[in-house]
Amino acid sequence: MYEREKDLVQAFVRGQMSRRSLIRRLGALGVTAGTAGILLNSSATRALAQDFDWQRHAGTTIRLLLNQHPYTDAMIANLDNFRELTGMDVTYDVFAEDVYFERVTAALAAGSSEYDAFMTGAYMTWTYGPAGWIEDLNQWINDPEKTGPQYNWEDMLEGVRKSCAWNGQPGAPLGTEDAYQWCIPWGYEQNNLSYNRRMFDEIGLDVPGNLDELIETAAKAKAGGDGIYGIGVRGSRSWATIHPGFLSGYANYGQQDLSMENGALSAAMNTDVSKEYHRKWVQMIKESGAPDWATHTWYQVGIDLGAGRSAMIYDADILGYFQNGGTAEAGNLAYAPFAANPEADAPTPNIWIWSLAMSRFSQRKDPAWYFIQWASGPEHTLFGARQMDLVNPVRQSVWDDPDFRQRLENSYPGYVEMHDVSAPGASIKFTPQPLFFDLTTEWAATLQRMVADEVPVDEGLDQLAESVNRQLADVGLR
Amino acid sequence: MDTMSPLERVLRGIAITLVILFFMFPIFWIFLMSFQTNETILRVPPSIVFEPTIANYQALLTGRLETAAGTLEIRFMRNLFNSLFLSTASVALALVLGIPAAYAFARLKFRGSEEIAFTLLSFRFAPPLLVLLPLVIYFQQIGLANTYIGLIWVYQLICLPLILWIVRGYFEDIPADIEHAYRIAGHRWFTTFRKVALPLAGPGIAAAGLLAFIFAWNNFIFALVLASADKQPVTVGALAFVTASGIQFGQIAAAIVLSIAPVFALALYAQRYLVEGLSLGAVKG
Repeated sequence: MYEREKDLVQAFVRGQMSRRSLIRRLGALGVTAGTAGILLNSSATRALAQDFDWQRHAGTTIRLLLNQHPYTDAMIANLDNFRELTGMDVTYDVFAEDVYFERVTAALAAGSSEYDAFMTGAYMTWTYGPAGWIEDLNQWINDPEKTGPQYNWEDMLEGVRKSCAWNGQPGAPLGTEDAYQWCIPWGYEQNNLSYNRRMFDEIGLDVPGNLDELIETAAKAKAGGDGIYGIGVRGSRSWATIHPGFLSGYANYGQQDLSMENGALSAAMNTDVSKEYHRKWVQMIKESGAPDWATHTWYQVGIDLGAGRSAMIYDADILGYFQNGGTAEAGNLAYAPFAANPEADAPTPNIWIWSLAMSRFSQRKDPAWYFIQWASGPEHTLFGARQMDLVNPVRQSVWDDPDFRQRLENSYPGYVEMHDVSAPGASIKFTPQPLFFDLTTEWAATLQRMVADEVPVDEGLDQLAESVNRQLADVGLR
Repeated sequence: MDTMSPLERVLRGIAITLVILFFMFPIFWIFLMSFQTNETILRVPPSIVFEPTIANYQALLTGRLETAAGTLEIRFMRNLFNSLFLSTASVALALVLGIPAAYAFARLKFRGSEEIAFTLLSFRFAPPLLVLLPLVIYFQQIGLANTYIGLIWVYQLICLPLILWIVRGYFEDIPADIEHAYRIAGHRWFTTFRKVALPLAGPGIAAAGLLAFIFAWNNFIFALVLASADKQPVTVGALAFVTASGIQFGQIAAAIVLSIAPVFALALYAQRYLVEGLSLGAVKG
């Protein structure tokens, strides 16, 4: 770095200059905004080294298993700063998401020591944790010898942080005092509305505020639009159909997947309120959903919104975020919080959390923790959120950052407000238990049968509850 | 003598055209997609009129893909090389091991021969994951994890039984008297094997080799579980275009065109042997 640029960045790190002034003055020296961000982060990273021995594991090499994702891209873009800070080296394998979890499961099930840390979803740790494949990270988080004072664990959004902690007892709530911290949140998705503002304006639609309005608006969009459908939601025979919009709305009515009574789990999806909710959901898909809804996964829902085939989606906010660039409808998309229940105070989105976990078979656990600590720390998260697509960041300090908020406000209308309104109620709404994937996939299959008129909603839910109870009993959970 | 009437000839032509159209249309459509951007591919309604671009092939060859979410590094050419290397080396090794074994099973009746042959065939029955998980541990212990040699060895689970059982059938079809006559003329058994049995079973060996190559090329799970990202074949590598921020349909189509090209070329070249070889082995005299 040239001396003048270096002086400017150090002045900023010392608090003698605002970020805006820094970028402007670096710009005058011919440094682009993107490069300025990386330079700035490099200095901030060096500042980290002042009150913690980041060099303790210098010379060690760790190996990561990563999913191909914008969060990974953000980390790789900033990895040289980690190498400089710690003197460690990092190698990694990146696999496409379609095969990623097979690879993770194979490595862990075989007890392979090849990878020290890896990306995972929080749901997956409900299998990995009790199987003894991953470490409880509390032992590192709570050790001041191993975790720097600037890590600020409490800065992680509470609902997100707690959703990654479970005590391993089926049916126990997430994030209890005795919970194991199976993984560290890295980036997360809430489920809300992403809609095509151009279409809404042309047809004269208002953003719906509850499930009844959503059904009505979706129907009007379909009727008023040119060959489009009203609402995009997932429909494939997979657990992933249940966890986004569907479960977020379901939880907003105070409904649960399972209930715990006297230490036994029971199906809770056949209550009267649940049946009414399912009826409305099925009606919405029949009236205004995609014609091939039963095949829709994350990809189809997103692609149709970006291509202008659907008026809105009730799905992951970052799915709508990604569709607002490089697509036919780029620049036309907007975002809104969504509380399905008209009597609810605020949305209660179920969330997906891309997290970092540590393999129990790792031979380099302390160095691996140094990486996890840095990658989920405030500096890298801020860098990723400002410069890359580490969205949604999991730290409150990043959501409070004016530059990050401004960036979102400029290009993603309504996104910041949507997050602010939804974040307090955002958490994993499923009951943690070992049959999660099987039972939730069966729930999706039942939903398909209801939409296809193969079974009435009430009867379908009763059958589902019966089957769930039987499976829970088979494994001794009921 | 041509007994077909003009009407019959026309109807037959139409029927053949329809069948070709039906089977070739997906490949033709993928070929067209490979010259389009994502935006033109996704337009409603789809159209075959578009401004062609070679950007997809360019991205594959250069390894850099520009997406809405930024620049994506792709290793497709590396994946293509891996597929080519793994499939070729595996088939070559399987031929070296499998042909003499097939000959032995066909000609030499020894105790346990059927059991051994069936054991080798049974490798094809086991669910791959069941075999692979223990292999991960063993391979790590003996230093074969994440190596081409380790993968080629595991690929024998696909190639060796196929070659052994198909080629065995061909050797059995060759009358033993021919070989006996050659032996009586004073030749050693290995010379007989080399000069008589091998040439006669040539079409069958070519067919078995080609089939084994196609099976190895299409394999997905072995490298996924046993090797790191830089040793993955095209079957895994092509999934890199399906990302959280969107699906790169154009690049997928270009990748398909490039990845089927070697197998297509090989099948086209060897189709005469394939048909001849397979039909020879199918009928026992």
